[in-house]
Amino acid sequence: MATAKQPKSILKKASYPATTSSKEDRDREVALYHANLIQQRKDIELNIFFSTETLIDYPLAKSPYDASNPSPTDAKEFKQFLRPFQPTDYDELIHERNTNEKCGYTLCPNARVKDGSGGKYRILGTNGKAKDFRVVEKEELEKWCSEACAKRALYVRVQLSESPAWERDAAGSTVNIDLLDEPKSAEGAIAEGLEKLNLEGGKAVKQQDAADLALERGDTGLAAKNGLVDVNIQEKEVQRPAQAPSLDDLSGRVDTMHLTLEGHTPEFGSRRQRRHTEDLENEEDPDTDWRM
Amino acid sequence: MSADEEKAKKQREAGEREAARLWRAWRTVHEMVQDRGYELTDEEVKISFDNFKYNYASDGEEDIIDRKKMKFSARPSDAMMVRYSNPPTAADPNPASPDIGTIWVEFLPDSSVGIKQMRAFAQYLTSHNFHTGILVTNVNITPAALKIIPAVASETRIECFVEQDLLVNITHHELVPQHVLLSKEERTALLQRYRLKDTQLPRIQLGDPVARYFGLRRGQVVKIIRKSETAGRYASYRLCV
Repeated sequence: MATAKQPKSILKKASYPATTSSKEDRDREVALYHANLIQQRKDIELNIFFSTETLIDYPLAKSPYDASNPSPTDAKEFKQFLRPFQPTDYDELIHERNTNEKCGYTLCPNARVKDGSGGKYRILGTNGKAKDFRVVEKEELEKWCSEACAKRALYVRVQLSESPAWERDAAGSTVNIDLLDEPKSAEGAIAEGLEKLNLEGGKAVKQQDAADLALERGDTGLAAKNGLVDVNIQEKEVQRPAQAPSLDDLSGRVDTMHLTLEGHTPEFGSRRQRRHTEDLENEEDPDTDWRM
Repeated sequence: MSADEEKAKKQREAGEREAARLWRAWRTVHEMVQDRGYELTDEEVKISFDNFKYNYASDGEEDIIDRKKMKFSARPSDAMMVRYSNPPTAADPNPASPDIGTIWVEFLPDSSVGIKQMRAFAQYLTSHNFHTGILVTNVNITPAALKIIPAVASETRIECFVEQDLLVNITHHELVPQHVLLSKEERTALLQRYRLKDTQLPRIQLGDPVARYFGLRRGQVVKIIRKSETAGRYASYRLCV
């Protein structure tokens, strides 16, 4: 054909941002960006390691506190330390505590039980219902001082986020962890209340507020904070004064408004019939739509 | 024979077996330290089983070896200092002193090794100014404890071995060719001779058993000398990554 026309590309036109920087500069930026990511990750991992090391020696408070009634400060710090943990990190903590002959639950001061007799497995629930019957590895049982502590520890474990801390968004990193047995002594509650009072005007609260505000505005986690792509949200300026909706311009649609789904009003009958008649008309000269 | 006698005999045999295991690990560690270039006398390395039992038996019972007594240090030899030295260059006429120093080897008696034990070992090394530390344990170290190694890497170098891995000296096996560590000068000469970048060399992993035996570091080059049926000897070079 003589009038061969260049086919129009359906691909989007690449619109690179106008960059004045040279290739080396851009390469350096990319390298720095990835190096920073790795450094952040290493920092967090080291942080988790130090937290694990600290938590081995918990609980710091002696009796009258125990696992069912932990001291408020210990519980608070435990939750604080646990924020960046993944379930696997938590397992390592339990393992570490066990190598030091402690109960796997961090807020429990007891030693773990040691079953002296041999054998790899234990049979549980022989005198209960059939659904309670279990065969468990001995190692699993020796992690804790009691079944209650196992429950408490695993209750915490399921609340930890599966995604690693450096990939979490802001919402994930401020998640709150609940204990199965929160500190409940009256004395402790008062002490905690006092602490809260002190903090009310303090820095921590302000920081928390700022973080919450940032979250609300849509700032995300560490990873996206200095991303390769600049995302600027531009407010659309309102040109004309806002008008309250009135019934006047609705008057034409009032009787079909109850049928409207998200602004669309389905129509039955009339349109379908119209199309049907159109089809009938078209059938008179069939197969002509290949013509240009 | 009465039951008591039999029990005592069994216990003695078990002690003997344990002692033999420890003796073999002890000899391998000494050979390793000597092969790396630290100063050790041949009497220290080729200690006989009887001498070993005599020296390291626990105070109460003669049959049982006390792991707490099994520790030693060694200083790098002059040849080793030369091998690890940084050659002066035009840009840097006074290079830093070689990154090598006294080594400390310790056998750990604990039945479980966690963060606590590793931290204590690291602190012992830094407080006594040991450059390198080798920790030989009876059991596997918990994964969390291994994270200490990079954390203290700026102060001291920690290497961990399990006793079981040291029962035989792997470098004495006929299928393991001879590995020779190249000095930095030899390394640059090699790269210039073949006009290579170091990444173009074949590689050996940091966790390779032989690399662990020689305590290789990232970026070092080893010369591997094999027997060849056609050429007699064949040398190849590998970069540690």
